[in-house]
Amino acid sequence: MRIVIDILLLVGIFFTAVGVLGVNRMPDVFGRLQASTCIATLGTISVSLAGILYAVSEGMGASAVIKLILILVLVLATNPISNHALCKAAYKMGIKPAKELVIDDYKEDDPE
Amino acid sequence: MQKPSKFAVWLSTFLFCFLFWLLLTWSVALREVLWGVVISALVAAFSGRFLIHHEAFYLYNPVRLIMLAVYYVGIFLVEVIKANLSMAKLVLSSKMDYKAGIIRVPGSPEIKSEYGLSLVANSITLTPGTITMDVAEDEKGDNYYYVHWIDVTETDREKAGEVIKGRMERWIGRIWK
Amino acid sequence: MIEFLIAAIAYVVLALALLYRVFKGPTAADRMCAADALDLTSASALVLYSLYAGRTIYLDIAMVVALLGFVGTVFVARYLEGRL
Repeated sequence: MRIVIDILLLVGIFFTAVGVLGVNRMPDVFGRLQASTCIATLGTISVSLAGILYAVSEGMGASAVIKLILILVLVLATNPISNHALCKAAYKMGIKPAKELVIDDYKEDDPE
Repeated sequence: MQKPSKFAVWLSTFLFCFLFWLLLTWSVALREVLWGVVISALVAAFSGRFLIHHEAFYLYNPVRLIMLAVYYVGIFLVEVIKANLSMAKLVLSSKMDYKAGIIRVPGSPEIKSEYGLSLVANSITLTPGTITMDVAEDEKGDNYYYVHWIDVTETDREKAGEVIKGRMERWIGRIWK
Repeated sequence: MIEFLIAAIAYVVLALALLYRVFKGPTAADRMCAADALDLTSASALVLYSLYAGRTIYLDIAMVVALLGFVGTVFVARYLEGRL
């Protein structure tokens, strides 16, 4: 059990490091938002899974397990909304992408 | 689609908040449960109209919730891990050349409700490499997702939709109409 | 287990590395994106520390940090979009 938890923690640290590196290296806002999704998905999922495994195997009580599951569900439910809002806001603000977009349907159609 | 009555909206939001309260406090002492009822009623009265727009009791279906959990564990996790690995490959490469683009992807015709649409949009956003920017509906009633895609490999819209959300949308379409 | 403490320290170091983008980012959207990621990273560090210390009170704090980060990001995004 301990080895499984260690592997999960290592996976979480690795993908969080990838996300942090991406946020610092990417040239424009959209790339940074894409890279920060790595932190929200595997960085948080693996930490929560490791915590759930540990709490179950150590018998920390049901409330700790429930709280860990709630943290996981809340992060998975709320993070895409904030990413979507930021991406749309950055586009509406008129931030130019670092490279020319290959295809831009949003500007042609321009809903609402 | 008719609008639900005000009481149904209130009751649905109230049940949701109260279940959340019970899970969070994890005790059935009388005083805590009473406070939970009061606070949930207040919150539901204020915020119910923002949360639910049609079919108030759509979420309280155990089969649907179990299928949602199966979808997240079985299908979604695999997609997320694949997308994370390709994102890691992109970030750790020294050149970092990618071709970004915003593409209009047609949605599946069977998913019509707000619950299904938002679930698909959230799934697209949570896989690294794609972010849903907007969901629009045209005059014929078809839905479109505007997706910012960091590595455009396919500029044809139907095929791009298949690449971006093919498996996930088929799975959601079976349960969440 | 000591691994949780080590992992928590690693997460805190990564969160500090995100501060570089918060201070430098050319536009407000850059800063907010990095701040959102910083919220999640510090919430994960709190979860790990609560498991190490064996006290579940930190789990509540982690949940509140994650939720408040979401609310703040959405508010700033709506403001930048010009609809607030």
